[in-house]
Amino acid sequence: MMDSDESFNTSEVKLNKKSELPLVWLLPLVALLVSGWLIYKSMSEKGPMITISFPTAEGLEVDKTKIRYLDVEVGKVTAITINDDLKTILVTAQMNSDAANYLNKNTSFWVVRPQVGLGGISGLGTLISGAYIEIKPSDGPKESHFIGLTAPPLLKNTDQGKQFVLETSDLGSMRPGTPINFHGINVGEVLSHELSKDADAIRLTIFIHAPYDQFVRKNTRFWVDSGIDLSAGADGFKVRTGPLISLLSGGIAFRAAANDGVKDIQPENTLFQLYETYDQSTQIIYKNTLRYVMYFNGSVRGLTEGAPVQLRGIPIGSVSNISLELDKKTAELRVPVTVELEPDRIREVNNQANVSDMDIMAQLIKKGLRAQLQTGSLLTGQLLVDLDFHPKSRIVETANDSVYPEFPTTTSSLDQFTHSAQIIMDKIAKLPLDKLSADIDHTLLALQETSKAATGMLATAKGTLSNTDKTMSSAQQVLKSLEPGSTTHYELDKLLQELNRAANSVNQLTDYLEQHPETLLRGKEEE
Amino acid sequence: MPDSVQRTAAFILSGYALYIPANIFPIMTVSRFGQGEPHTIIGGIVALVESDMLPIALLVLVASILVPLLKLLGITLLLFCAHFRWQINARLWTRLYRVIAFVGRWSMLDIFMISILVGLVDLGGVASVIAGPAATAFAAVVVLTMMAAKMFDPRLLWDYQR
Repeated sequence: MMDSDESFNTSEVKLNKKSELPLVWLLPLVALLVSGWLIYKSMSEKGPMITISFPTAEGLEVDKTKIRYLDVEVGKVTAITINDDLKTILVTAQMNSDAANYLNKNTSFWVVRPQVGLGGISGLGTLISGAYIEIKPSDGPKESHFIGLTAPPLLKNTDQGKQFVLETSDLGSMRPGTPINFHGINVGEVLSHELSKDADAIRLTIFIHAPYDQFVRKNTRFWVDSGIDLSAGADGFKVRTGPLISLLSGGIAFRAAANDGVKDIQPENTLFQLYETYDQSTQIIYKNTLRYVMYFNGSVRGLTEGAPVQLRGIPIGSVSNISLELDKKTAELRVPVTVELEPDRIREVNNQANVSDMDIMAQLIKKGLRAQLQTGSLLTGQLLVDLDFHPKSRIVETANDSVYPEFPTTTSSLDQFTHSAQIIMDKIAKLPLDKLSADIDHTLLALQETSKAATGMLATAKGTLSNTDKTMSSAQQVLKSLEPGSTTHYELDKLLQELNRAANSVNQLTDYLEQHPETLLRGKEEE
Repeated sequence: MPDSVQRTAAFILSGYALYIPANIFPIMTVSRFGQGEPHTIIGGIVALVESDMLPIALLVLVASILVPLLKLLGITLLLFCAHFRWQINARLWTRLYRVIAFVGRWSMLDIFMISILVGLVDLGGVASVIAGPAATAFAAVVVLTMMAAKMFDPRLLWDYQR
């Protein structure tokens, strides 16, 4: 019974056990699954480990400093060590798995700290939360070691626009972050500056945000828009000021040319000139230039580089170089003046094909176009080069060893004037002044005698004059006696009346005799 | 109790399985001004030691790491004894079982503390405490070990003693 009971029990228990076993053992299975899933999830969230070197670990803390992209946490600093060179630090960071995609060669990292500048305040949040490392994804092959930037890049990843290059001779107050204005709107900034390869200019890389980048066109001019432009002209004083921020920290402005269309929009990294002032930027720049060298005979004192070259009073170019030359063979001194002519300044009529500007110039020279120095301002003595036609002047060829063709010159009016003055002076110098003075002496003596005689004559004249006086007074008396009211006048009047009457009677007589001529013989007939 | 060994073994295995995530995952995140990093149990103890709070560090170490671990190991040992019929001092081992069964509930100290903190410190952006995945796992470990202790029949220790 015991056995059977036991066997029965056992089978029953076995049945029970079979039905109970899976239920109880489900629990550790679930527990294993849950913990396994948790571990797998956290492992899969972990991305690659990267290292970044920075010049300083200021504000960075192990396990606290985050790596963020667009303010989303994508990693965490896990260790900070000092590099082997003892100059930089090495930050080891655990990145998230989804950050693995943009850990490329050109990806940049920088530490975000609070910054206060003229351009504004940024990173204020880090005052409380502590610094964090910002990442800017980029392209390139996969990379796990990076060199951190010392300053945040000026461009955010989301910025749309174009980069351009400006060339200037002087950096001035331009620095990364300098604003760029377009009609007063802040549309971009200077990203970086570098010396050009020849070290003769500064190249500024600038960024113009969309949609303003489309206004950077073929003839767009950039100028330094810092401070106040004060100019005095015939129409009074003019003051131009940039925005306040530009006044304080300098700025760049640009404007689009009116005749540029949409087709003139320039591609990225186009080179532009940066003008020093607004006025400079408004002047037309002619790219087509002709260079000539001119040899002047006289002194070029007062002629400076940049002095205008005028054709009939209209500037068509400028002096680009003045130097002094010595011909060692002939010991002759020459002053070659290099000028830059801008033929585009002259409007062309009756355009001819296949005739270059050089040809036209040669033709003009043949017709007598000559250069001469003229005084631009009598006050300052500044000289300018004047071109005009002197058909009679000969072309004097000089041994020209410059790379530019020679432009014939003629003596300047000033030179001519000095030349004539010289001749006159020479003539004056040749005059026999001693002899002349002796002659003058003689003449003077003779004159003295003459004057003496004249004195005598004058005395006689005085007598004559007093006689005349007497005559005049008697004449006056005579005239007085003839005045109306005087006796003589009355008598004369009477006389004239008598004469009148006599004439009338004669008249009557002659009339009567005409009608009755017989009366002369017979006498007057009685009525 | 039927299948005491089997059931105890199942619970204790589940306890082991969850003990691992309970220790490697953060148990809570304390954030001040939106900034804070998750702490694991061991990380919390290290932080306490670093800030010269050795007694509290010891307390947390004992309550949160040693006690659950010793409980797991103790019950495992008891299970082996019962299953492989080891010859032992049954009186001593029964006392061990009693200690384990008694101390079990005290391991919930951590969980109580975390749940109180999560409830109390909820000041939005200024400060907040968030329980991590390890808290759940840890609570599960404590419950599972208590269940395991409950399932174990101490009489089994006596059954095969000579």
